Amino acid sequence: MEYLLNIVPAVAAGLQVTLKIFIVTIILSLPLGILMALGRISKIMPLRKFMGAYIYVMRGTPLMLQILFIYYGLPFIIQGLRLPDFPAALIAFVFNYAAYFAEIFRGGIQSIDRGQYEGAKVLGMTYIQTMRRIVLPQVVKRVLPPVANETINLLKDTSLVYILAMNDILRITRSIVQRDFDTTAFIVAAVFYLFFTFILTKIFSYLEKRYAVYDE
Amino acid sequence: MSFVEMDHIRKNFGSLEVLKDVSLHMDAGEVVSIIGPSGSGKSTFLRCLCQLETIDKGSITVDGDAMVSQPAGDGRSVYASPSHVRAICRRMGMCFQHFNLFPHMTVLDNILEAPRIVKGMKTNEIMPTAEALLKKVGLWDKRDEYPSRLSGGQQQRVAIARALAMNPDIMLFDEPTSALDPELTGEVLRTIKQLADEDMTMIIVTHEMAFAREVADRILFMADGIVQEEGTPDQIFEHPQNERTQNFLKSMLRF
Repeated sequence: MEYLLNIVPAVAAGLQVTLKIFIVTIILSLPLGILMALGRISKIMPLRKFMGAYIYVMRGTPLMLQILFIYYGLPFIIQGLRLPDFPAALIAFVFNYAAYFAEIFRGGIQSIDRGQYEGAKVLGMTYIQTMRRIVLPQVVKRVLPPVANETINLLKDTSLVYILAMNDILRITRSIVQRDFDTTAFIVAAVFYLFFTFILTKIFSYLEKRYAVYDE
Repeated sequence: MSFVEMDHIRKNFGSLEVLKDVSLHMDAGEVVSIIGPSGSGKSTFLRCLCQLETIDKGSITVDGDAMVSQPAGDGRSVYASPSHVRAICRRMGMCFQHFNLFPHMTVLDNILEAPRIVKGMKTNEIMPTAEALLKKVGLWDKRDEYPSRLSGGQQQRVAIARALAMNPDIMLFDEPTSALDPELTGEVLRTIKQLADEDMTMIIVTHEMAFAREVADRILFMADGIVQEEGTPDQIFEHPQNERTQNFLKSMLRF
């Protein structure tokens, strides 16, 4: 018990890195994903092709490779651009998750009946008004389950930042285990992850309930 | 000059020629009904007027204002600027076979949405109109329901009120009762009839022969992408000249 009280604050110190990466990535990658989805289905062919290629690359290579590339590889391409570890990791996370979210939103947008666009158009709405007021609000309801999935994935993916020697929950935990030859710390880390997953699950089921006021 | 002038409209979907030189002139206050077998191009023709389809050839003028014009020679027709086209389309209200109400908004918000965001009106400015329209279609007490809680007939009446809230000069109906259970068509048809009695200019694509006959000033019979016959309801229903019209009416009145 005394040992537990000792290591819990130590593991909790890693929360800062884990949560910062998680929160900033969610805040930036969701809107970016919506924009990318719109680009992916745009009438402008080069934009559509570019987004397709971008999503292919981001989904087709490991996130860890992308983190390493931005941290170590970018300075060779853009001379002298060596980012500190946190922004480098963050850029990789945001651009990677935006690609996944883009595909979720694309599916959601394309599942909306054409009649909705036509109904909006004959009322005089522009493309932007139609998207903002008619289509996207309905998309949100449909994509909540897959977005919840990705969000929970992200929480756990944050542990990849250990590769840049950033002290997130899991890296600290590992060093404690190696130092003390005691695996209790792993269980502490698991409890932390489960706690935040629990909160996320609650938030998403609240949102789903709120959107359940209407049927389609 | 007529209120709506659609001249020599041609439209292809790929290699399929859907409209082969269709024209319609109508005056303000007139009710025109378009009948004909499925695939005859009647819905497409209506959708060309409100810009849900673009035409390949021909011209469309509304109240003297050219939306699409046909250049001399053999070229494709030329549209006015997008904002000009949108301004002209704003004078039209459209009702669809499947209503196309916004499912994530209440009945009232469905009515208020376009006046608010398209015309920039405040909720309290549009509210009296919305209330009057919902009372007119008999659904004021359903204003806080979501569309999915309403019957098809109620949904279509909300859709009519929604279109009217934009204060259109002409109403277009694309098979407004085709998706409804037979016992629900009456309430929708009565609402449309009421608009006709108020001298609303309307084009109604419909399979309801008795209704077309009663409400329309003029009937267009379309088949194979052309207007086969055009005339007053009496002419079309009592003395059809064209063989296609005769066969179509016979098949519609078989039972």
